[in-house]
Amino acid sequence: MNGDMVLAWSSDEEVREKAECGGAVTSLLRFALETDSVDAVLATKARDGNRYDGVPVLITDPQELIGTAGALHASPVNLARFLKEYLDGAADLRIAVVCKPCDAKAIIELSKREQINLDNVLLVGLNCTGTFSPATARKMLQEELGLDPDDVVREDIEDGTLTVWLRDGSETEADLAELERKGVGRRENCRRCETNIPTMADVACGKWGVEHGRKATFIEILSEQGSTLVDGAIKAGSILVEQPDNAAVERRMAKAQAATELAQSWQERDFAPFKGLSLEQRFAYWTSQFSQCIKCFGCRDACPICYCQVCWLEAERGYVQGGEIPPDVMWPMVRIAHVMDSCVNCGQCQDACSMDLPLSRLIFMLNREIAGVFKYEPGMDLSARPPCTTVTDEEASIDAVSISF
Amino acid sequence: MEIEYKPAICPYCSCGCGIYLVVKDGQIIGQEPWKDHPVNEGRNCPKGKNAYEFLYAEDRLKTPLVRKNGVLGEASWEEALDLITTRFKEATPETFGLLASGKNTNEDAYVLQKFARVVMSTNNVEYCGRLCHSPSAAGLGPTVGSGVMETSEIDIERADCIFLAGVNLKETFPLMTMRVLRAKGKGAKVIVMDPRETVTARYLGDIHLRLKPGTDVAVLNAMMSIILSEGLEDKEFIASRTAGIEELRQHLSSLDLKEMEEISGVPLEKIGEAAIAYASAKTGCVLYDQGLNQHTTGSDNVKALASLALLAGHYGRPGTGVNPTRGQINGEGTGDMGCLNVFYPGFKRVSEDVAKIFEEAWGVDNLPTKPGLPYTVMLQKVKFLYVVGTNPMMAAPDVNNVRKALQDLDFLVVQDIFPTETAQLADVVLPAATWVEREGTHAWVDRRVQKIDQVIAPPGEAKPDWWVVCQLAERMGYKETFNFASAQEIFEEIRRCVPQYAGITYERLSQTTGGIQWPCPTEDHPGTPTMFVQKFNTPDGLGHFQVIDYKPPAELPDEEYPYVLTTGRSIFHYHTGTMTRRTPKLNDEVPRGFVQISPADAAGEGIKTGDMVTLSSRRGSIGVPAQVTADVPPGVLFVPFHFSEACANVLTNHALDPACKMPEYKVCAAKMEVQQ
Repeated sequence: MNGDMVLAWSSDEEVREKAECGGAVTSLLRFALETDSVDAVLATKARDGNRYDGVPVLITDPQELIGTAGALHASPVNLARFLKEYLDGAADLRIAVVCKPCDAKAIIELSKREQINLDNVLLVGLNCTGTFSPATARKMLQEELGLDPDDVVREDIEDGTLTVWLRDGSETEADLAELERKGVGRRENCRRCETNIPTMADVACGKWGVEHGRKATFIEILSEQGSTLVDGAIKAGSILVEQPDNAAVERRMAKAQAATELAQSWQERDFAPFKGLSLEQRFAYWTSQFSQCIKCFGCRDACPICYCQVCWLEAERGYVQGGEIPPDVMWPMVRIAHVMDSCVNCGQCQDACSMDLPLSRLIFMLNREIAGVFKYEPGMDLSARPPCTTVTDEEASIDAVSISF
Repeated sequence: MEIEYKPAICPYCSCGCGIYLVVKDGQIIGQEPWKDHPVNEGRNCPKGKNAYEFLYAEDRLKTPLVRKNGVLGEASWEEALDLITTRFKEATPETFGLLASGKNTNEDAYVLQKFARVVMSTNNVEYCGRLCHSPSAAGLGPTVGSGVMETSEIDIERADCIFLAGVNLKETFPLMTMRVLRAKGKGAKVIVMDPRETVTARYLGDIHLRLKPGTDVAVLNAMMSIILSEGLEDKEFIASRTAGIEELRQHLSSLDLKEMEEISGVPLEKIGEAAIAYASAKTGCVLYDQGLNQHTTGSDNVKALASLALLAGHYGRPGTGVNPTRGQINGEGTGDMGCLNVFYPGFKRVSEDVAKIFEEAWGVDNLPTKPGLPYTVMLQKVKFLYVVGTNPMMAAPDVNNVRKALQDLDFLVVQDIFPTETAQLADVVLPAATWVEREGTHAWVDRRVQKIDQVIAPPGEAKPDWWVVCQLAERMGYKETFNFASAQEIFEEIRRCVPQYAGITYERLSQTTGGIQWPCPTEDHPGTPTMFVQKFNTPDGLGHFQVIDYKPPAELPDEEYPYVLTTGRSIFHYHTGTMTRRTPKLNDEVPRGFVQISPADAAGEGIKTGDMVTLSSRRGSIGVPAQVTADVPPGVLFVPFHFSEACANVLTNHALDPACKMPEYKVCAAKMEVQQ
């Protein structure tokens, strides 16, 4: 039922063996495909078994799901974009999307913009405390842990510790904060992310609340659709469940709280240098950064919020002088202005920037300021409209405001 | 419904950036970042982000074309190949020439040179690399023994001083710029040597040596002289790993530094600043490109640059070296494969002994033992020309004369993907499959061999270049020597003939993201990121200092032609424009050519931005819109060479570097007139 929480694991032995935490998510998805509740599952798979090279896969054969089990911490895949760009926003296909909280938030924001048909989407959200970029992960494993990255078969982050398991069965631990102090560690945006449990999805699945070492998944049902899925799977015997006790529920809340606090401290740390500057100084800093821009449009392509058919920034629109690098400062300013109220902090823009510009740092910082002003949290509530493109009744009736179309 | 991310390497420059092509039902419908690729980590430049569009352009060549009654018309492969065979049989080793391309795969390039040598008995085989990095071979050869990039491009970020000599890195190698920016973030100093204030000079450079075009040797000699007088040379390195320091010392002490300042136009203080920064660095990295190379003194320029690095001891460690930046996807590889008039595969110099080695390897007799003609001379001297994937009508200097020469040929075959300016003059045009339409390997800038997998079918009847060559060879009676059923079979032969590739296999390449850097002598060898670690490739293993005197460019301004015309590129376009002008997102950014004119000169001539200007040199005229900008110094005009309708090479000088036959694209004399 909506609002229920269960500890779950797969009833299928093979799935339990191959999966990382008891295979509940795999079995839920299998159930959804086998009972035709969805046409396909959109998940992430390690291409050719390479943990650092995750790619989106659209699965229609339930047997193939096991190949996507387990979390690829070093593969920050842009699932919302894939859904929007290549699956026609789920216009005609019922799709279960297994994803991180930022993907789920992006999908909800895109739905508000009529780019994704949320009615056709079942959001199976996974708890997340962050991903690594493949290059950083490899460097970290080689230089800080003295390991061959290709020997790693599993990674996990828990209570500030990164653990990696190797092919030979051994495991190594490292302090995440220490790694991040050295400049390796999670992607910058991930460190700042407060949305660790995907409460905006139909179900939220993760290991918080599960006793250490136990192979089970803590599932929170968050919608009617989620309820239909989980209750149906329990009834069909696809997953086995038990009630989490109060201690488990509290443990989960405590972990979420700790993750949120850590994220907030990173936000403070990352944004502090700018809070101390005057507006002129801030502007000078950012125009200096953007002077390196080569107009690759990588940020625009990657951003799940960007969706215009013919982008304002393209040369053919005639707004920004073509052929100039760096482009006029209006180029980054307009892009930021268009997306900042809805930035879900996915970090894909910064991943894509060939000049290493700290885009996610800037845009999410602005987003936090806007969130404070308009009390708008991107990607959480489908009925909340993005503030920079919405005029409320109250705003419209302010004397000094006039609106024309 | 199958939607797959298929890995590919960008088809444009030589960085070798990974991309994912999104493929559905046999069509490429998009592209996505390949974040695990070590070269670019999921980032791309504007061209790389629009990599596949050109494949689907409307005027792709889909069938062979044969000229009848003056007009090119569709023909079958059989008809075209039979005709070519008949005509090629009329050629002699002296009258036949073959021009290959920096866009061929290694497999294509290998069979192309084999065809010229085995079937046509000639060393008249060249490729467009002659026009960009021939001075690298001629300059670095005597100095360090090999004209290749020393460091891995990834290690550029380890440098604490980066010298960008004659390379507009930001526009021509953006993903190497990423490495330079990272080095800067750690405190590295960047020196830029360029007559123009490019975006590289403005946004990467800390010290801009803004020299007069063609005066590089003056600056480099001055730098070396200052390093010696400051005692900043790396004495240990010089003692243990070099030869010839005394001659260099003597030569430099005979130079008048004030004269160097006057020749180059760069204040001595600035030259000194750069010299001291570079010599004091721990890890100094030199990247250089056409600004050094495309001169009648190109090989001299490179020799001086390499001597500078030897003097400072910046060789043989990751992030050091004097590194030629190849512009093409296979600029390195097609040279490795021997599409050069003086080299058999693996850089074995043409001679009787080397011919014997390959006679044995290939099971043939009578391989040619004398060097063939270089590219621009070949255009003028042969009667039967086979052009594969290169576009001399846009890329060679003095295009009006190139046109005459091509029209004078008895028979011209052009094999390409589009009806290029050169194809339009051909007797036979053959449609080639390209990039992800066939399988093959390339060698990117840092000797990085990667494999391109076939992802889609070629259009119409287009075929891989190597297949066409084998068909011709068979028809000419050489089936046994060209009995290849696949690119992989060709690669296996390459491994036997080119020692640097011996340990590389298709299987290893499929399993290694980012490829394998040659030399790779055995199958368990990991490849070689950094060259010259223990010794140089010279016969005695030492780096040899070169004594170089400044020589001025061949054609300097005079009263009639008062400006220096220089040529170059834009980030949004690629070389002769064949691919990028058919990619709307790129062409929309820069839809037409332009001439950069300094504000002072513009004022003097009454020109403002947008005015149509007639630019003339002794070789011809073009009409081109003006762009008034302080990027160019007074007295210098800049024209990019991407635009057919404003073809820069109509104006350029065919004068050659005597050592390596490189044309002087970067300097000639021009005049301009506003069109009324």
